[in-house]
Amino acid sequence: MNSMTQSPLLSRIKFREAGTLLGLILIGAVFAWQSDTFLTTPNIINILQQSSINACIALGMTLVIISGGIDLSVGPVAALSAVLGAAMLVAGVPVPLAILGALAVGVFCGFVNGALITWGGLQPFIVTLGGLSLYRALALIYTGGTPIFGLPDEFRALTNGSVLGVPNPVIVVAILAVLAWVILNKSPLGEYFMAVGGNPEAARIAGVPVTLTRQMAYMISGFMAAVAAMILIGRLGAAEPTLGTLWELDAIAAAAIGGASLMGGRGSIFGTLIGAIILGTLRNGLTLMNVQAFYQLLATGIIIIVAMLIDKLTSGKQG
Amino acid sequence: MQHFLKGALAASVFTLSMGMAQAQDLSPLNSDSEPDRMDWSELEAKFGPLPAPPAGTKVGGVSKTLANEYWRSLGQGYQNVATALGIEFVYQAAQSEGDQLGQLSIAENLISQGFNALLFSPQTDANLIPAVEAAAAAGIPVLNVNDAVIPSATQYVGNVQKGNGVNVANWFIANRPDGGKVAVIEGQPGVYAAGQRTAGFTETITAAGNFEVVASVPANWSREEAFNAAATILQQYPDLIGFYANNDGMALGVVEAVKAAGKQDQVAVFGTDGISDAYAAVRSGDLTGTVDSFPVLTGEIAMEVALRLMAGQDLPRVVATPQALITKENVETYATSDMAALRAALMAQ
Repeated sequence: MNSMTQSPLLSRIKFREAGTLLGLILIGAVFAWQSDTFLTTPNIINILQQSSINACIALGMTLVIISGGIDLSVGPVAALSAVLGAAMLVAGVPVPLAILGALAVGVFCGFVNGALITWGGLQPFIVTLGGLSLYRALALIYTGGTPIFGLPDEFRALTNGSVLGVPNPVIVVAILAVLAWVILNKSPLGEYFMAVGGNPEAARIAGVPVTLTRQMAYMISGFMAAVAAMILIGRLGAAEPTLGTLWELDAIAAAAIGGASLMGGRGSIFGTLIGAIILGTLRNGLTLMNVQAFYQLLATGIIIIVAMLIDKLTSGKQG
Repeated sequence: MQHFLKGALAASVFTLSMGMAQAQDLSPLNSDSEPDRMDWSELEAKFGPLPAPPAGTKVGGVSKTLANEYWRSLGQGYQNVATALGIEFVYQAAQSEGDQLGQLSIAENLISQGFNALLFSPQTDANLIPAVEAAAAAGIPVLNVNDAVIPSATQYVGNVQKGNGVNVANWFIANRPDGGKVAVIEGQPGVYAAGQRTAGFTETITAAGNFEVVASVPANWSREEAFNAAATILQQYPDLIGFYANNDGMALGVVEAVKAAGKQDQVAVFGTDGISDAYAAVRSGDLTGTVDSFPVLTGEIAMEVALRLMAGQDLPRVVATPQALITKENVETYATSDMAALRAALMAQ
């Protein structure tokens, strides 16, 4: 099934990625022209740092979207792993163990989502919408609504340090992006994601393990949410049960700007990264230009819609 | 999954450098009970007239959201002082009260722009901590202005939240000498301001002896939830004599429930914040009163504190801003938009 579609599909995605990158460069050029601070090294690092959490969530979201699903529960999953991880850290559990524990919480939440969708036969939108309330409620109940302060410095040093001037969160997300790229483009699992999202019936007939594939997508998404949570609580020095509000929408926006189709079967890791950086750049540049919040929101909306229109036009040309 | 976990573990253990572990020797801030404090009204007497800022002074403000009147008014106060003294002032806010990371990004972006002082009103107690640390590293003074409290904040300007509730409780004690049943409509659980306002009211009124707080339920700052909660409470306790709501939006919801039950003459309703809708409702007699914390004046005081800090004055860690109980009797005194007159009225209080 691949030999026929592979090469035009591949070239189309690269074409689309180049378009997203061009969009980022254009936006950057406008800001560089408007603000002297924009193109300085500390500011670029700032943008990457600020985009890293959304990018992390969006990587998992991209895989879910490619496999034909959606994960609305990422923010609350992050909150739950954050408060449980923080509780372990504060209780004196060794840092690597507490991190593993928190990541396991994320993977488990993803497993529950996936199980309800695959074995329960429920729609992804509804299951993860339920998860959006469920995991948030668990985080609030567990903490009684109050943040957990006093994370050990040993843990905070992991997220607040840097290598050669590049903040650790950026490095972690870059490594995860490479892994996600390898999974999507160089592993059978990646082909399965594409196949299941493109046409689940055809994939089933072709012998793709559909259930396992979808299950994996949600578990990876839960894992990414937990990683984002660790990065955030390390930076904040505290875990709040309300953390992660509206993360799902930012992540979906990044994936969509990067070329993911909400109908499934199409999406790009590189495109998603650029999409997340575009959103971070917009917020940074508009703040530097002292544009008020309401207009920032307007700009974000326009960018998403323009990206989709360009997507539609180019895909029309490509056939 | 396996290599994901391995990857993350490897990332966290091997490739990361250890850096930037900072120690805070200040005790975690509790803005209501911090002993190192003063009232706004003593600023001039203790520290002299406001020092003139040097030319080219730039101050930045970051608040919760401009969709809420309170934060617009606070920004107006900042701007009043900035305009009067010819300071460059930038005021930014997040897109909504839930937007914690967005607010952090905005705060971080301002730090890179060379401001002389920053005025932060964080969404939560923790979400702006990295920006506060970055500003400290860059030597930029940061003021925590109302109402979430950053535990590591070195300077706080804002309301004594507990005082809001105490003010309302004192009204009941003075005006309802026979006592009776009262109820509290709380804000979001876990939010510092909500907890302190409720505690101030409940502790004060319970200590009076003849009052009983029969219900104290959260309505999450929502007018609709407050309406429903109040309607239920009124059904359960038909002889209730009063409500205290942690903010005005909820109080106005309670007013509607009291009206629907036809108990306007029996039940006194109080809110907190002094938004313009609340003033209108106090004038019309629907709302018995509200505790105004004067956001415009608070903004002016916060900006003045920032300028005093920049001039090297050694101010206490907490500067408490004004509040007053607004009822039909005094509503016109406090409704003024003339800040000098308002200051005089509050000083005379």
